[in-house]
Amino acid sequence: MHARSLLLAACVTACTVLPPVGRPVVAAELSVTIQNPDGRGVSGAVVIAEPAVPAPRARTAARASMDQRELQFRPEVLVVRTGTAVDFPNSDQVRHQVYSFSGAKTFQLALYAGRAHPPVVFDKAGLVTLGCNIHDGMIGYIYVTDSPWFGQTDDQGRLQLDGLPAGSYTLRIWHPRLSDAATRLDRQLNLQAEQKSAIDIRLTRALRAPTHTHGSDKRWEDY
Amino acid sequence: MKGAALAGLCCAVSLATSAHDFDLSVDLRAVSSRGQTSYLNGGLGKLRFDQTHDGLRLGSLRLAYRGDITDSLHLTAEAFAYGDQDVNPLDLTELHLSWRPVPKSLWRTELKLGAFYPAISLENRMRGWRSPYSISFSAINSWIGEELRTIGGEYNLDWLGQQSDSNFNLGFTAAVYGWNDPAGVVMAMRGWSLHDRQSTLFGRVGRYGQGVIDGRKLFYDDIDGRAGFYLGASARFRGLLEARLMHYDNRGDPAAEAPAIDDYAWRTRFDAFGLRYTPDEHWTAVWQYLRGSTAAGAPVPPNDWRFDSQFLLLSWRHGRHRLTARYDDFSMQQRVSYFGALNDDRGHAQTYVWLYDINPRWSIALESLQIDSDLHSRSWLGEPQIAHERQLQLALRYDL
Repeated sequence: MHARSLLLAACVTACTVLPPVGRPVVAAELSVTIQNPDGRGVSGAVVIAEPAVPAPRARTAARASMDQRELQFRPEVLVVRTGTAVDFPNSDQVRHQVYSFSGAKTFQLALYAGRAHPPVVFDKAGLVTLGCNIHDGMIGYIYVTDSPWFGQTDDQGRLQLDGLPAGSYTLRIWHPRLSDAATRLDRQLNLQAEQKSAIDIRLTRALRAPTHTHGSDKRWEDY
Repeated sequence: MKGAALAGLCCAVSLATSAHDFDLSVDLRAVSSRGQTSYLNGGLGKLRFDQTHDGLRLGSLRLAYRGDITDSLHLTAEAFAYGDQDVNPLDLTELHLSWRPVPKSLWRTELKLGAFYPAISLENRMRGWRSPYSISFSAINSWIGEELRTIGGEYNLDWLGQQSDSNFNLGFTAAVYGWNDPAGVVMAMRGWSLHDRQSTLFGRVGRYGQGVIDGRKLFYDDIDGRAGFYLGASARFRGLLEARLMHYDNRGDPAAEAPAIDDYAWRTRFDAFGLRYTPDEHWTAVWQYLRGSTAAGAPVPPNDWRFDSQFLLLSWRHGRHRLTARYDDFSMQQRVSYFGALNDDRGHAQTYVWLYDINPRWSIALESLQIDSDLHSRSWLGEPQIAHERQLQLALRYDL
């Protein structure tokens, strides 16, 4: 996972995970490890701890960024809390036309370069698939969740979520190249105060191979 | 008529265009050729350059424009100069409008109008229909570049499966076009060839007064007033594998004569298949196969030729370097001739290329091309039928 996206994920997490006033300070810690069938860690997997009792809404609107560089969305996957405003800067020489017709957010950004558009607010939970109408090979994802407890695994496939209040949770896992059915990876958790829990998930089928593009070289144009 | 239609397209550009993108590409060559007299110079050699036309040459000068008239309406213009004593020193190779609205569902439509390439080549994937893998195109794509252009309309319907949970994107194409009645004449006379020239919209294939189709004032021409069509389909598997197929039929009337150029409309039909596999960031493999026929002349049955070709290209890229090897196999047989003599072409070619990007603007390419062929029509010129042609090219390229 790129350092920049880690930083971004950390920033988004920090903005949203701080417990609201009045919440018990004794909280649980949850360590999640996700591995391929061969034992290698799965990096960049989305991990969300969804509380049975909905968490209070964030007090301030979070901000995140989905860049476009070398004809790819960077990061490929962005996880945000409901209500987050996402910028879509275009760092390529060529212009992009970003769109989504996913149920959680339907929008389109007219052809642009640089930072031509105001941020898009993702106000409904769900998976939003992004495309570029000029470059069909560009596919990105914004995973919008109501829960404040989420993140993405590091290069070793690990993620630690802190500050979870005691209670019941559904642990959800998602990755764009998952071969396993995502719902099969769900786990029901019951966290106690000050409890440190570790969950190891091993995929039964390897991730699908990643796709790649030929960079931002504007000379390329498929006929 | 074709000129008027294309001029109309140009007028459409004068609408307030919101964004402009201009390209300039220069390709200078040092060429050493041991080929027969080229088809461009009155012979039936299969190379662009021959022993009396090599040394320091202009590979090509390219000027191009892309403009966004609205968010969904885009204009593309491509013009080339080759310095091969063409009738027009600089001429258009493509000029088209495409209307491609942002999809609202998994189905997306696109409409193209003007002069453009049918989506057959999996090799020519750079602006200006150039190849990132080599200097000279494969035999199939060299032929498409010199005899085929869609001058008409094309409708594309794409199914964007990858926007849902599918691994596939699918595409369907249908086109109606005119001004393509000479397609086949070069194949019938010269057979297959490997080079990097694209016939321009208002030019000829070779030099005026020389070459196999020297009488034509204009190459992209309509003789019979009948529209042609093609139908195609494509599938992409997660950006790793792309497959294309197309049935092409220009519906030329072999009996329709154009006295001004002493020629007929050519009925050219073919099926084309292709696969491109890109398993990782380094490797690319391309295979294409094309098989078809052409016919011309008033007698029944008319003169009739069959042709087919395939190639396998392997390319490896690492950093600024790219290495490519390609093997082409080709054949053409005339089945019917009312002059008695039947033309025939069989051969194969090997291409080895090293490409190096000095920086984003400058690059060099070194290409060795060997074509071994047995072309019967050479004997009509008193030349040996069998030729072992060799060409070494060093290109210095600049892209703005």
